[in-house]
Amino acid sequence: MKKIGRGIGVSFYGTGYGNGFPDISRAIIRLLPEGRIGIYCGVTEVGQGAKTAMIQIGAEVLDLEVKYIDLIHENTSLMPDSGTAAATRQTYNTGNAIKVACENMKKELFEKAKVELNLNSTSGLILEKGEVILKFFPERRISYKKLSEIYYNDDIIEAKGEFTAQTTEMDIETGQGAPYWPYTFNACAVEVEVNAETGVVNILRSTFAQDAGRAVNPRILEGQMDGGFAMGLGYTLFEDLNLDKGIMKNNRFSKYLIPTAMDMVDINNIIVEDPEPTAPYGAKGIGEPVMIPIAPAILNAIYDAVGIRIKELPVTPEKLIRHLREGEEKIG
Amino acid sequence: MELNVVGKNIIRVDAYSKVTGRALYPQDIYLEDMVYGKTLRSTKPHAKIKVDTTEAEKIEGVLKVFTYKDIPNENKHGVVLKDHEVFASEKVIRIGEPIAFIVGETQEACEEGYEKIIVDYEELDAVFDPVEAMKEDSPKVHGDSNIILYYKLRHGDIEEGKKKCKYIVENTYKSPMVEHAFLQPEAGLGYLEEDGTVVVAVATQYPHYDREEIAINLGLPEEKVKVINTNIGGAFGAREDISIQIHLALAAKVLKRPVKVIFSREESFLAHSKRHPMIMKYKTGADENGFLQYMEAEIVGDSGAHASWAINVLRKSGVHATGPYVIPNVKVDSYAVYTNNPFTGAMRGFGATQVSIAYEQQMDELAEKLGISPIEIRMKNIFRKGSMTATGQILTDSVPLDKCIEEVNRDFQFLEESEEGAI
Repeated sequence: MKKIGRGIGVSFYGTGYGNGFPDISRAIIRLLPEGRIGIYCGVTEVGQGAKTAMIQIGAEVLDLEVKYIDLIHENTSLMPDSGTAAATRQTYNTGNAIKVACENMKKELFEKAKVELNLNSTSGLILEKGEVILKFFPERRISYKKLSEIYYNDDIIEAKGEFTAQTTEMDIETGQGAPYWPYTFNACAVEVEVNAETGVVNILRSTFAQDAGRAVNPRILEGQMDGGFAMGLGYTLFEDLNLDKGIMKNNRFSKYLIPTAMDMVDINNIIVEDPEPTAPYGAKGIGEPVMIPIAPAILNAIYDAVGIRIKELPVTPEKLIRHLREGEEKIG
Repeated sequence: MELNVVGKNIIRVDAYSKVTGRALYPQDIYLEDMVYGKTLRSTKPHAKIKVDTTEAEKIEGVLKVFTYKDIPNENKHGVVLKDHEVFASEKVIRIGEPIAFIVGETQEACEEGYEKIIVDYEELDAVFDPVEAMKEDSPKVHGDSNIILYYKLRHGDIEEGKKKCKYIVENTYKSPMVEHAFLQPEAGLGYLEEDGTVVVAVATQYPHYDREEIAINLGLPEEKVKVINTNIGGAFGAREDISIQIHLALAAKVLKRPVKVIFSREESFLAHSKRHPMIMKYKTGADENGFLQYMEAEIVGDSGAHASWAINVLRKSGVHATGPYVIPNVKVDSYAVYTNNPFTGAMRGFGATQVSIAYEQQMDELAEKLGISPIEIRMKNIFRKGSMTATGQILTDSVPLDKCIEEVNRDFQFLEESEEGAI
């Protein structure tokens, strides 16, 4: 007998290392040959899209297309330390560092353009599509490419940027303090179908709304939402190491079950934007938050379907059937 | 603000190389004169050990078997507390702890050498239940106490809060230890540059941290160590702790040959951290109008044999224990505890993923008692701009949780259903 149920889960998540720990990101920007821009930064691409997002932020400040930007982020001898790809901190912290560095770079480009264009000041200069232009007399202009031909080797144009997140240590006795900033929010609703005979739970549909502050790249963000949902789904229904006296009995994918494409549904992802003033262009991190409301939404939907509240994950078919039988006995 | 690039669906800059198979992962790197490494790991959760590598080193093609005796400097590492040994010296504290690293001309030679290493285990009492581990007379994993962290949150007045409640729901929730299950198991290369710089090519979440640990263990200045971060096949927190970096650097430095290691899926399960299982005891209360007045929670997280990020994870659980709700009277006690289980560390959500299982089911249970919908109880209590969290922090900007709930409810219409139900 199949029963349908619907549930909601909402959550919040504080960004960064937290608790007053110095959470610092750094970036160096250089004008490279052919007028390309190099962003040197220890930002790690684990699949979340950091590489693209960081380049987009740099491209925005320097008014370039992303194809003119090189991100140098793979060699510790070439790039400054920008902290871990963790704590949902790269878009916010490292994005801020890159934005600051690019803004400093903009000033450097203006200073050099002032000299090359024989101007008395940098006032009125703008960046547009790879050129520094005197806005009210656009004949006075110089391209990044031209500047890179004049300034190279020891005279290379470069700028640095750094961002340190603001949090405070919490009081040891009361736990009071400002441990994280900013916070990211979300809400997820799911509809499930519970087979009361087999104990199998299927997800029928879901609507998932994620606060992003501002989405740097909406499509990549939606990819994260799909991934977070899948991971939350596996956590809730399947994943179990079967730990016995320190031994992981399920130590391979033939035994340790994770969701496949067949277990997923096409989620109605909704990005909610409300720019965060301390964030780069208002963008908050979403990498971890996208997993957090999934388990409770599914659990609340299972309760709605069959009236059983499962307090221990995962909700395997065996476990659900056991609970259903116990429930019947109580009623019966 | 009009933006030209931010907010646009730019195609991932790394997409082309990844979908065409051109992106280089550490498994894909081959260097001339390259040799292979294999890690021997503990098979006991808690035991004194004696290791004999003599026979293994006699195997043809085996170049060297590294143990703790070969570490030039500190034999320890760890993201917060230095409680991992690079190689177990006196005792092992979990299954999977590295004991030796065999380097051979071929993978077959490594396998043969592996079989010839003799590890003599003298088993010790072990502890696998974090609640047991908190007791004074429990077996100790490190030092005199298994409690790594006790985070205390006190906000408002619990007794006053309770008095205002019409309903209090009380439940204990348990979350399991789970695996990150990233696509690409650990692999890497260690080699020397001409000037003697030690290079490790690996897929990591924090190359500068890896460099620091390698430098300390090998007794080198950081400038003489370089970490190349290759393409990474997923991480989710499991690539924050050291796995192969120090072994590779050590072997390359001593043998002056490029050394490569590739983990099988089973070894990957053994080698890296897991998600903290948690036991979460919750009491949540609301007044007759559906406003939350009181919450009490006790959270115990199993850190396994190493602390890794346990202090930060269980602190994060404590801070996020209320969920995104204004609750004037809150008491949370959160503990991180050592056991002889596989070690736990960072995993997507970092302690905030576990507590939502508890606080959100508490909300639905309260809603049912109050006879209101899951949406209504949330809309009455959620954080909004200007709200105060249980740590006393003011949410000054960007708190669009109400909008998130409204968007979801527009599709699901939870409210109407409850009204129909009432009729």
